[in-house]
Amino acid sequence: MDSLQDKIYLQSRSRLQDYEPIVGRSCLEELRVLAGELSGKIIQIINSTFVGGGVAEILEHMVPLLNQLGVDARWDVINGSEEFFEVTKKFHNAIHGKKEKISPEDFALFSEVSERNLEEMRFYGDIFFVHDPQPVALIAKKKEIGKRWVWRCHIDVSNPDKKVWKFLRDFVVDYDAAVFSAPNFAQKLPIRQFLITPSIDPLSDKNKELDSGTIDTVLKKYGLTSDKPMIVQISRFDRLKDPLGVIEAFEMVSKNIDCQLVLAGGTAADDPESEEVLEEVRRRAEGNPGIHVLLVPPESDIEINALQRAATIIIQKSLKEGFGLTISEALWKAKPVVASAVGGIPLQIKNKLTGLLCYTVEGAAYALKQLLSNPEYANWLGQNGKEHVKQNFLITGHLKDYLLMFLALDQPSDVVYL
Amino acid sequence: MFDWLTQSWLWLTQNWLHIVAPLLVFLATYVVGLWVRRVVYRAFNRWAVGKWEGSQLIIQTTRTPFIYWFLILGAFIAIQVSKLDSSGKVLAGKVLASLFVFSLTWVVVSLSTKILKLYIGKVPRLQSSEPLIVNTVRIAIAVVGALILLDVWGAPTTPIILLLAAVILIAALAFRDVLANLFSGFQLAQGEQIKVGDFIKLESGESGYVTDVTWRNTQIRGLDGNLVLVPNSRLLQSTVINYGRPLRKATKPFRFYTHLHLKELTGLKASNLIELVKVLKEVPDPVIYYHTHNFLEEHHYLTPEPANDFALWVSDELGDEVLSEKLASIDTFDFPTIGALRARIEGVIRDYLSKKPDGRTAHEGREFHFIKSISFILPTPYIAHDLREFVEVLRQVSLNSLSYHIFEARLRLKKGVNDFSIWIEDCLGDKDLADRLAYLDPYNYTLESLRSTIIQLIEKRIK
Repeated sequence: MDSLQDKIYLQSRSRLQDYEPIVGRSCLEELRVLAGELSGKIIQIINSTFVGGGVAEILEHMVPLLNQLGVDARWDVINGSEEFFEVTKKFHNAIHGKKEKISPEDFALFSEVSERNLEEMRFYGDIFFVHDPQPVALIAKKKEIGKRWVWRCHIDVSNPDKKVWKFLRDFVVDYDAAVFSAPNFAQKLPIRQFLITPSIDPLSDKNKELDSGTIDTVLKKYGLTSDKPMIVQISRFDRLKDPLGVIEAFEMVSKNIDCQLVLAGGTAADDPESEEVLEEVRRRAEGNPGIHVLLVPPESDIEINALQRAATIIIQKSLKEGFGLTISEALWKAKPVVASAVGGIPLQIKNKLTGLLCYTVEGAAYALKQLLSNPEYANWLGQNGKEHVKQNFLITGHLKDYLLMFLALDQPSDVVYL
Repeated sequence: MFDWLTQSWLWLTQNWLHIVAPLLVFLATYVVGLWVRRVVYRAFNRWAVGKWEGSQLIIQTTRTPFIYWFLILGAFIAIQVSKLDSSGKVLAGKVLASLFVFSLTWVVVSLSTKILKLYIGKVPRLQSSEPLIVNTVRIAIAVVGALILLDVWGAPTTPIILLLAAVILIAALAFRDVLANLFSGFQLAQGEQIKVGDFIKLESGESGYVTDVTWRNTQIRGLDGNLVLVPNSRLLQSTVINYGRPLRKATKPFRFYTHLHLKELTGLKASNLIELVKVLKEVPDPVIYYHTHNFLEEHHYLTPEPANDFALWVSDELGDEVLSEKLASIDTFDFPTIGALRARIEGVIRDYLSKKPDGRTAHEGREFHFIKSISFILPTPYIAHDLREFVEVLRQVSLNSLSYHIFEARLRLKKGVNDFSIWIEDCLGDKDLADRLAYLDPYNYTLESLRSTIIQLIEKRIK
């Protein structure tokens, strides 16, 4: 439960000024003005872990940048047993709409660990920024110490398990505000709800510019060549990412156009189905030399980056998706993207302007053909997509939204003069 | 004691001529000196009066030393005619020469200091450099005087001159930037290409009014109010656009602001047209503003300018291209208030529903979500006092700033017209230009092309 301020400073890879060539000076000037308005306030950020998982990854970048802006943001985590995190994993799945058996003992364990954290944790912030369901019950402290409390929900709560959501909702309604990543994740709540989309870091290994030598090395490693147009889907092997649908669409396209398909991703340790899906995909791809199924180890960000940069088209034919940040990663590489209109994807792709949306396998195949046959159009979409990400889905914009949200907590008005 | 007096008297009676002659020569030289000074100074005074203001300085500074120099001359001649042995005469000659060189050096230093101060005082751009110039001249004269003194006493001066040359060379190398700026400053002063009050723009991007030109640098008041010091050498080496003298100042300067938006979810949604029009009627104005301007701000780089969120949703999710077109063709610019705009959107949908009531329902998860925009307005450092500054700031401000003054000020802040037109009419009295900007439909442009169009209109006016 120690604050990892020093560690975070050491881990900080990017300096704020490194973003200036990408987003411009005025953007950083605006951030500094906003940060100045929060002078003297401590933002206490609380989640469940310092390492691993998407939230920790975001905070690892976000907290040092907030500090560089002069905002006193400090990061703490709750303590929890293995059993506790198994329960919260069930909560997570249930909120996503997956059927989970959650017993009264599970709810009791959640409450018990939350009580313990309430006793052990030091609450020193002026604004408490609590991430995801694991620490949500810490709001009980508000009755005692007051201050501003915000719940940041990173998961898709558009179709949650009613029992779990009701349990969590009782905590959420005591917060001053909640933050969701997409409009359809929002719920009917008696508190203010803000829309803040996730972001990508343009300077991270996954998104930074790569030289052609690095890209060629990665292609060589996986036995790929760039002599044919390459369609790439990057995602873990999960039925919800519809890899078999992608193969089907590819087969429709490759009847007329000579091209290759790369399905690259990993398997999740907490998802026993993923190994099974990988095997299915491999069996389905057997005998088709144009399909490459690549098992990419974890922490292979540069390899993922290289595969995306080598792609002619990037596809994301998910059946269900959270925000789908992989779309922003693809668009950032100025690649034309074909993606299903699910979850947060339509926020990132405006059909026919920054990419092509599809609903079916046939639709995906049609979009792929259009792009392969019209490289200029594909390039135009790719350039628009990159600009769209630059304007809306970079970490600097994310920082701006968080700063505005902190300021909005004390401002009920719709127009705020700073 | 008595013997000593007797011997002295005896010596005087025998050598009185050797004493009196030098004394008379000395006194005669002094008298001649007094006469020469009178004649020369009168003639000089008559010649210089009214012609040169420095003449009095010369007279004041040299009048007293002039007589000292005749005294030194008199002493020298007197010693030469005296009975002193030759080595004594040589030594006395060196002492007197040294006195003369010393006093002459002092007079030249004093005189040059006064003359330099007289002239530097008249040239404002040199005033800050006065100590540097005066001290340099003083040191140079003192060094020359010292070298002459050394020469008088027979000391070898060649190594010292070489040493001095080396020191000067090293100093020139060490201070080459300063010297380059000094020479450039001289060139600027001579050429008068850049003067205080001119608006200049450097190829590196800095621009603003020139507030001072010294020998070393040129001071510009930047568009953000900060003073920029540009070394003169850089100014001469780079391409500089000089727009000339200031334009008419506004009665009040224009402060550029910018805005940032935070999206607040209302929790309200619609899955068909009936629900859409029902919620549309109830939501607050910032929701309407968001859905009619969000696409514009998020996709400002696209051409042609996209429609409002309602039109896009009707097309993408309900597949109704006819209604989508009707909604997209609502010209936001025609409406002075959000209320009027809302009524129009509502009217179009109601009218359509009355003819075609059985519309489609959006898929689950693809409903229209009503979002409110919270606007944070913050000042930028940029201020314009006239149209030249205004147009240069406009090139630099963020698109958020442009969008704030053009869209938000007109519609959301209920000013009815954009901020630029208001300022140009009220503070510059240029109604024609103000009207041109007010009638420009900003919704037909991308934000970058809107910026260029406004700049072109203003440039045309100030040419």
